[in-house]
Order: sequence, then structure tokens, then C-alpha cells
Amino acid sequence: MFQYEKKLQYPVRIKTPNPKLAAWVISQYGGPDGELGASLRYLSQRYAMPYPELKGLLTDIGTEELGHLEMIGAIVHQLTRGLTQEQLREGGFAPYFVDHTTGIYPTAASGAPWNAASIGVKGDVICDLTEDMAAEQKARVTYDNILRLSDDPDVSDVIRFLREREIVHFQRFGEAVRLAKEKMDQKNVYFTNPAFDTAKK
Amino acid sequence: MYPENNPQNNPGICDDSCGTLPECAPLAVPYVPFQPNNPKRYSQQEALANGTLFPGLNLPFRIKAEAVKVLGTQLAELQALEFMLQELGLYLDTHQDDAEAFQLFRKYAALEAEARKKYEAAHGPLTQNAAASADSWAAWLEGDWPWNYTAEGGAK
Repeated sequence: MFQYEKKLQYPVRIKTPNPKLAAWVISQYGGPDGELGASLRYLSQRYAMPYPELKGLLTDIGTEELGHLEMIGAIVHQLTRGLTQEQLREGGFAPYFVDHTTGIYPTAASGAPWNAASIGVKGDVICDLTEDMAAEQKARVTYDNILRLSDDPDVSDVIRFLREREIVHFQRFGEAVRLAKEKMDQKNVYFTNPAFDTAKK
Repeated sequence: MYPENNPQNNPGICDDSCGTLPECAPLAVPYVPFQPNNPKRYSQQEALANGTLFPGLNLPFRIKAEAVKVLGTQLAELQALEFMLQELGLYLDTHQDDAEAFQLFRKYAALEAEARKKYEAAHGPLTQNAAASADSWAAWLEGDWPWNYTAEGGAK
């Protein structure tokens, strides 16, 4: 189960509203490589994982991603507080505003609402962990791109923290592949899928 | 645990930003170097500021973000201690034989419990369970929710 902790993983303190930046950052809330997809991907993949290290790692990273989802929501919320009539019209925020006012809605910066088609759960150990390594890289690049666009140091500081987490997670998933391989057939890891072929033990 | 992950088998070969790979690895599987046991570590405040406990994994983007650090507040101190547990936890998931890292986890878990108690005494409960020691349920509902911040300092 999950219990709520009334604090963020890392401080989010945005001094200046900036709807244009909010319209970009929202992509890490509900875009194809965002934190909602990350948390659901890992927390859903857990069930098919046969080894305790992998169950633990997917649980722990998936839970951390939920905390990142909350941080991204906090950034967008703080960037869109107290907007003036002029601010609503500038910087491409208006289409989001028409549909969601300043509520936080999981959508990509390019406008597509969050879609489970952007995540993968294949039920195969090597396949799912390889997907996770790619997912961390895609999220890292999205944060790189936000850093290229951001002109607010308060936002960039938080994005930089989140970006570094993707690198650490990539490393851990890479190690998880090695641990999984060690437990699988050393000559041919594709001989069976230990997440499914349990009867052959 | 992979035998080549033991730094004693690879004395002096890898610096802290490098890891170990099998000498002869089967084809058609992705390989990421294993972070050796007992890697160099930042202090808790540096770890939170950098987004990782491990200097060897700190790989920043060319565009540097500079912001006034909010470290030093009671909340940031608690966040720094919890970040130590987060980072050590993920590390231990793939390095469960690193006894020193587990000892550190125990140490920081005790420090976190202490810091949490102090924080909650001053700022109110962080969980519903902790609201049991408050005067009324309002302690859980009132005060700033984590996403609220204004430059003026008030909740909004």
C-alpha cells in the first residue's frame, strides 16, 4: 500500500509565474516520457518479476517516480498562479487554459493527453528491464530539452535534480539486467522467460 | 553478486566514475558497468543538491542551473536525510552484499527519525498517523501543502 507524506522529495520554490514555461514542463507530468508513465510502468512491471532484487528495485524506483510526478505538478502549479489577462494570452498557454484553466492535467507539451501506449509492460524480464533503461534515457533527454528552453533558475534547479535521478535509475536498471542474467541461463538468456515459464523449474 | 563487482578482484583499475564489466560476456544482452562496492559519497546536503549520493554518477548537462539553494531550513535538512535513504536504498537493491552501505542506511534511518520528530513538532504532522499526536485533525489539514509556495512566503 501507499501512505502519503506531506512534503516533496526536493524543494520546489518558483518565485515568478511563467505560463509559457508551464506549457512545456507539463510534458513531464503527462507526456510520453513523463513521470506518470514512469511510475505506472515500473509499478506495473513488478508483478511479473521473478527475483526479489527486481521486485524491490521496481517498487522503489516506481515509488520515487510518484514523488517526481508531484514535483512536476508543483512546478506547473506555481508557474501558473495569479496569472493576469495578458499572461493568459502569451506564450502558447491559452490552449491549455481553455481546456483545464490552471488545473494540473496529464498531457504532453505537444497537446496529446497521457496515453498508456507510451509505456510498456511485456511480462518478460530482459525485455521489461531494457525498456526501463530506454525510458530513463528518454526522460533524461526531455529534461535536457527543458533545460535548453528554461530561463528561470528556480525551475532549472529542480529540473536538473530530476534529470540526474534518471541517470542514477538508468545505472540501477543496468545493474538489474546483470543480476537477472546471473540467475537465468548463462548461455542463453532467451531459452525461457522466468517470469512465465515457471513450470519448467 | 557478480564476482568482478568485488573491487579486490580489480585492484586499482577502476576510478570512481567507472565500473566493472565481465571479461567475457555472452552476446545479445545489454551491459552496464556495475558500480563497485563502497563508492565515494557526498555529504547529505551535497547529495540532495546534486541529485545523487555518488560523485561517480554525477553527470550534469552542459547548461548549468544556478539557483539560490534553499538548504538550511528544517524541511531541507529532513529532505536531505530522506534522500540519503532513497539513494542508499536503490544502491542496496542491486548491492545487497555491501555491508558498509547497509550500516549507513541504518545510521541515516535513525537520524531521519529524529529529524522527522523535530520537524513535526514545529510544523505539524507529515502523515495521517502522525496527526494522532496533534491537538485536533486541523493539524493535518492546515499549514502549507507541499505544492504551495509564494515568494512572499504565504500559502496560496
